[in-house]
Amino acid sequence: MTQADLQALKNPLLALLAVLLAAATAIYYSDQLMVSARRQLAQQQAQLKEARTRLQKSGDEKDIIVRYLDSFRQLQRAGFVGDEQRINWLDGLRLTNQQSDLFGVDYQIGSQKPYAYAAEFNPGQLELNQSVMRLRFRLLHEEDIMRFFNILARQGAGIFTVDQCSMRRIDTGGVIRFQPNVTAECELSWITARVGAAGERK
Amino acid sequence: MADKLLIGISAQGATVAHWRGNRIADCYLFDHDDAGHAGFKEHLASIANVPAYIMVDAVEEDYRFETLPHAFGSDRTEMVGRKLKQHYRNTPYMTAWRVGRDSGKRRDDRYLFSALTNSELIDDWLNAVVARGLPVAGIYLLPMVSEALLQKLDIKAVNLLIVAQHGGGLRLTFFRDRQFRLSRLTRGDSGRGENRVRYFTEEISNTRLYLHALRTMTLDEHLTVLLVDRGDELMEVAAGIARDNPSLDCARLSRQELATRLDLAESLLDVSPYVIYLHLLGFKAPQSNLAPENVTLGHKRYQARRAIYAGGAALALAAAVWTGANLFQMLSLRSEAGDTARQTAQLSTRYLEITRQFPAAPTSAENLKKAVEIAQKLRESVRTPEMIMAMVSRALEGSPTIVIKEFGWKYGTTEIEEGGGRVAVTAAAETPAPAASAVVRKQSGLIEGEIRPFRGDYRAAIETINAFADRLAKEPTVGGVRVVKLPLNVNPALSLSGNTLDSPDQSGTADFKLLLVLKPNI
Repeated sequence: MTQADLQALKNPLLALLAVLLAAATAIYYSDQLMVSARRQLAQQQAQLKEARTRLQKSGDEKDIIVRYLDSFRQLQRAGFVGDEQRINWLDGLRLTNQQSDLFGVDYQIGSQKPYAYAAEFNPGQLELNQSVMRLRFRLLHEEDIMRFFNILARQGAGIFTVDQCSMRRIDTGGVIRFQPNVTAECELSWITARVGAAGERK
Repeated sequence: MADKLLIGISAQGATVAHWRGNRIADCYLFDHDDAGHAGFKEHLASIANVPAYIMVDAVEEDYRFETLPHAFGSDRTEMVGRKLKQHYRNTPYMTAWRVGRDSGKRRDDRYLFSALTNSELIDDWLNAVVARGLPVAGIYLLPMVSEALLQKLDIKAVNLLIVAQHGGGLRLTFFRDRQFRLSRLTRGDSGRGENRVRYFTEEISNTRLYLHALRTMTLDEHLTVLLVDRGDELMEVAAGIARDNPSLDCARLSRQELATRLDLAESLLDVSPYVIYLHLLGFKAPQSNLAPENVTLGHKRYQARRAIYAGGAALALAAAVWTGANLFQMLSLRSEAGDTARQTAQLSTRYLEITRQFPAAPTSAENLKKAVEIAQKLRESVRTPEMIMAMVSRALEGSPTIVIKEFGWKYGTTEIEEGGGRVAVTAAAETPAPAASAVVRKQSGLIEGEIRPFRGDYRAAIETINAFADRLAKEPTVGGVRVVKLPLNVNPALSLSGNTLDSPDQSGTADFKLLLVLKPNI
């Protein structure tokens, strides 16, 4: 094919190229529309299935509400469900210190973060969060620490787990009197649950 | 079918027909003079991008049948080209057409060589066409075009002579077994009324003699003569020929027959005798094309352009079908999704109606249940140092010389660090990946103590520590006990120094560290 032939065929070739591009664009765009429609249908079908299941289980749902509503409200009052109740925690600490006759408790609370072991509990639409509290005690005896945790748990200030503790004997030089013999440091996680936006009552 | 410009050229002038919609739409005559050429050019000016098919009716034509050795490809092209140059040196309008193969042993190829020997006849007309930029599809001799008449009229005569009155004279074309063999155009006036029968008879006789001389047909053979009578003026001639030549079959194609059988308007037959042939040329161009490559170059480009446009159109059509199918499917899917959404809405409405009768709850039933269950599980999962402290107390009962100085405990996915000592409270105390599904937590304790009193008997001290560790290891919930540090490091890689003086006073210390790890999920 000569240069003159190419020149003579320039317009048809350009037209062919334009048709090719337009065809490719039209096919691609319509294909994307179809894929999007298919995805939308799949979503709608999943929602329909969910709605059907929800309707079928509406009787069970009522039973569940009746059964768990009071316990849920108690958890709300205790500060497990909803926003963190740090004042409750500190009140609990103060009362526990008084009731367990300790020599005072130093505390330090870290910022709230997602609960590290949330996956163990399969929380669904609930968000589980934790705030780490570091405590420093001076104890008369090692067992005081266990007494402290038991009393703190009974205060109903929330739900916490003990992550780690360390105790060190204080050298008192053999003198026996009412004074701290052990220092202890512990780390607790105060755990709270929040109902996500998706979990609001529909 | 695409439009065509059909041009019939003779010594008298040019007949131009427009082929449109599978028939001749209109027809014009231009004389072979200055006015005719000017009119022709003016006429062409209104035409663009239409391929021109040129037919020539001239005395200056030549036909030769020749046998050449059978060959293929470039060899054949070269051989035929050589032959053409030998036969026709003074004209560019020539061609060779392989009509068949010999029946002899060598099975040679039989060719029909044909040429327009006077190129000047068409030069002016052709130049006007080329100057206008119209693509020239081909140049054909009228007898070659008339071969199509046999197929159109379904004539099966073995020896057929078609006789037609043209402007330049009488055209006699002979076909044997429906294949072209010879054609001649007589010069002279054939319009002499009283002599017309004799004139036709003489020319037919001359042609038969010529065919006999060429050994194409003997005089004894039966011949069918077909008179093409577009003006219904050869009835007497036909009768005369039949009367004077009993060995001939003479048939006449009347004006009406021509119009009917060729599907041609009768009015067009009045315009020119070439309308019939141009009509045949419009349907199908013969294979014998006299036009050299430089003349048909424009037509080749025209065909390439059309092929590209056709390809583009096919592509566009395919894309349109594909796109249409996609859009149709998309609309179907959307319609189905709409129906599904409506069903979902209906179910949701029914569900809402039902839930209005439920006790007022701050969240969904599922969340209520989850929150309560999680709280319960969390309470059950709480671990304290109590269990390990109790174990250590029990183990210490058998080793009164061991004094615990420091105790560390941890419940997590990793063990308590050896040198951890103080608990480092940080926000990121332990952060396994939130999605980790098989996270196993376990309790571990780090016990730091010493042997008291210690009087330098390392062997006894180490035995006491190991016994302490063994008692811990025997606890059923213990996964492992590791002595992290002993009072004396007997590692051969390290240097060791001390004093062996046996003294009742306590000399030095016998510190140790033990790491205790419980089994998982205890």
